[in-house]
Amino acid sequence: MDDPQPPNTLAAAFPAPPPFWQSFTPENLERISKLRAPQNRTRREENGIPPRILNLPPELRFLQPPEPPVEGVYRCFGDVFNLKDPLPTLQEMSIQQLYTPPPSPSSHIDRALILKRLAKSLLLNFLELTGIMSTNPEQYEEKVQDLRTLFINFHHLLNEYRPHQARESLILMMQDQLEKSRKETQGIRAVKERVEGVIEGLGKLKLAEFENGKVGQGEVEVVEDGRDVWETLEKEFS
Amino acid sequence: MADKLTQLQDAVDQLANQFVASLYYVHKHHDLKTLGASDKIREEKKDEAAQREPDIEPVSADEFKAGQKELAQDLIMKEQQIELLISVLPGLDNSENDQERMIRQLEDELKAAEEKRREAVKEKEEVLARLEGVIRSVKRP
Repeated sequence: MDDPQPPNTLAAAFPAPPPFWQSFTPENLERISKLRAPQNRTRREENGIPPRILNLPPELRFLQPPEPPVEGVYRCFGDVFNLKDPLPTLQEMSIQQLYTPPPSPSSHIDRALILKRLAKSLLLNFLELTGIMSTNPEQYEEKVQDLRTLFINFHHLLNEYRPHQARESLILMMQDQLEKSRKETQGIRAVKERVEGVIEGLGKLKLAEFENGKVGQGEVEVVEDGRDVWETLEKEFS
Repeated sequence: MADKLTQLQDAVDQLANQFVASLYYVHKHHDLKTLGASDKIREEKKDEAAQREPDIEPVSADEFKAGQKELAQDLIMKEQQIELLISVLPGLDNSENDQERMIRQLEDELKAAEEKRREAVKEKEEVLARLEGVIRSVKRP
């Protein structure tokens, strides 16, 4: 399995995993969870990352996730991304801001109003543009600039709204998940109750036969007994 | 289907494209007119016209009017679509704090539901084992 000369790992279409995957053996995992156990009792886990343990033996060092980076850039599929990627404001893009920004990011009613106004302005400005084009086509530039500014403003407002939408989608997804989980539980319970009913039914059946003194009277009886059980089962699940 | 925001952004982009397409249509298919008595429409020679793409392909006045009308109607439709999308943007009446509170609450509820689900699975398995025991005892008494 060991390649004497591993191919260039950065250029491969399917690069090999980083070499430390070999540290994740069952034994090592068990050892680190034993080391972590006393720490977990004293300190609560933060952000889902187990607390860091100092002075680990070298073969266990890779099992400890590194601290998440706080700032800087990261690479993903060959592209460099900023860890903090704020939306540039319109002023930074040197675009005229056509609306007064909502007083706080939490109020969204006026946002819809602004968007509707911008959409109407777009249509109106296009009408003006066609008017200009029909009388003096050479003066198109100013109006086209206006349209451009309007479009950029519109998109900017929408992009500012994205984090809000992301949270909203998360809420919807969680509600879905919750409903699914509850339904599943309900389904399991229902089946369980039915099975319990079957068992109870069987118990009664047996008891009745026992009272009639039928049980244990030779092979034929046993077969008959079994048939009863299967019939009950079939009735229950058909 | 994409989320509402993306739909809205796409719709606005389509509106921009429609603006361009409308202007192009008017430019391409308008009829040629003389503005003064001394003007006359230039006649292109057959072979010259065939060689290059004509700038203008006039259509009949009726057709031109119909085309303009259709484009205008499309623009209005798109505008209405945009306004509709704006009014159904999700969570317009939720503030950020509301959202966070809701997410936390849902998280707790999810955990509880998962716990219940696991319990139910366990109970189900117990009952199943009992049933199995009964069936076995019936088959081979």
